[in-house]
Amino acid sequence: MSGIQLVLLTGVAFICLYFVIQLKKKLLDLVLLLALIAAAVLFILWPDITTKLAQKLGVGRGADLVFYTSILIFWFVVLKLYARIRQLEKSFTQIIREDALKKASGPSSNEPVSK
Amino acid sequence: MPEFKHTVSKRVVVIPAYNESPVLTLVVKSLLEKEYSIIIVDDGSDPPLYSHVQNMPVYFLRHRANLGQGAALQTGFDFAKKLNPDLVISFDADGQHDVTCIPSLIEPLLNNEADVALGSRFLSTEKTNMPFTKKILLQIARGVNYLFSGLLLSDAHNGLRAFNRVALDKITITENRMAHASEIIFEIKKHGLRFKEIAVTIAYTDYSKKKGQSSWDSIKILFDLILHKLFK
Repeated sequence: MSGIQLVLLTGVAFICLYFVIQLKKKLLDLVLLLALIAAAVLFILWPDITTKLAQKLGVGRGADLVFYTSILIFWFVVLKLYARIRQLEKSFTQIIREDALKKASGPSSNEPVSK
Repeated sequence: MPEFKHTVSKRVVVIPAYNESPVLTLVVKSLLEKEYSIIIVDDGSDPPLYSHVQNMPVYFLRHRANLGQGAALQTGFDFAKKLNPDLVISFDADGQHDVTCIPSLIEPLLNNEADVALGSRFLSTEKTNMPFTKKILLQIARGVNYLFSGLLLSDAHNGLRAFNRVALDKITITENRMAHASEIIFEIKKHGLRFKEIAVTIAYTDYSKKKGQSSWDSIKILFDLILHKLFK
């Protein structure tokens, strides 16, 4: 086992541990995560597999294949995060708006207008 | 500061304001003289704008955090509904809109020829001192709005608009920032509202230019629009 394999495996192990603690209840997420972890361990221990797979898919080197898929996953995650941010912004706006409407002051006095 | 008598007007002006203290009082005064009811939405300004208008007969609402002009407009619209108005007019706080444009703007609504009247800088025969880059950007924005909504308007992002009660009840702005200008056009199309473009003049003072949109902002608007379409 080479140095880089040790480093990567330690990293994957920690990520795995973290997510298992976080996702205890969500079964589907856990299954997906375990599949990803298994793939990661497989590719780290036997990097030649990626090369074989890459050649089947018409990509030169295994490292390139990993790189391309990473970009895809990266964009997927970015979009998911954006969707999440927009969702959060929506609830945030709603709270601020309700507060503003409740505390509105009227023309004749500084008393609140709304009920 | 002169005292204004408060008259209940069925014509409500919504002014979204963010850090506009230097000109806000002037804008409000000019509108009060024409006896409009006024709703000011302070979009989380720092310092708060309340002290500038507290002696004036206006409705004042404040967002506790800055959300953007679109959000401030929607808050103003939500509040306007409680006043049961005939018309709601959106008016910028930076002094670039002219009160004297309002009568011609609301005319098609009063004649029941349209549900929404949109101010346009490009229909006016008068020469404006619009900066050149602004002109180009607005033309691009026009094209983008056409691609997204199917409505080709002469002006893309003009803050001076009038809505009748039907439009007020139907249009909902969810885009908090500047993309709301395009969203209003989408909403007009979606609900099949009748609209008309009316020539208005815009004053490009040094102040309003400084406060206005930069070219970089238009990139952000485009990005917001794409996301709006993606996640809807």
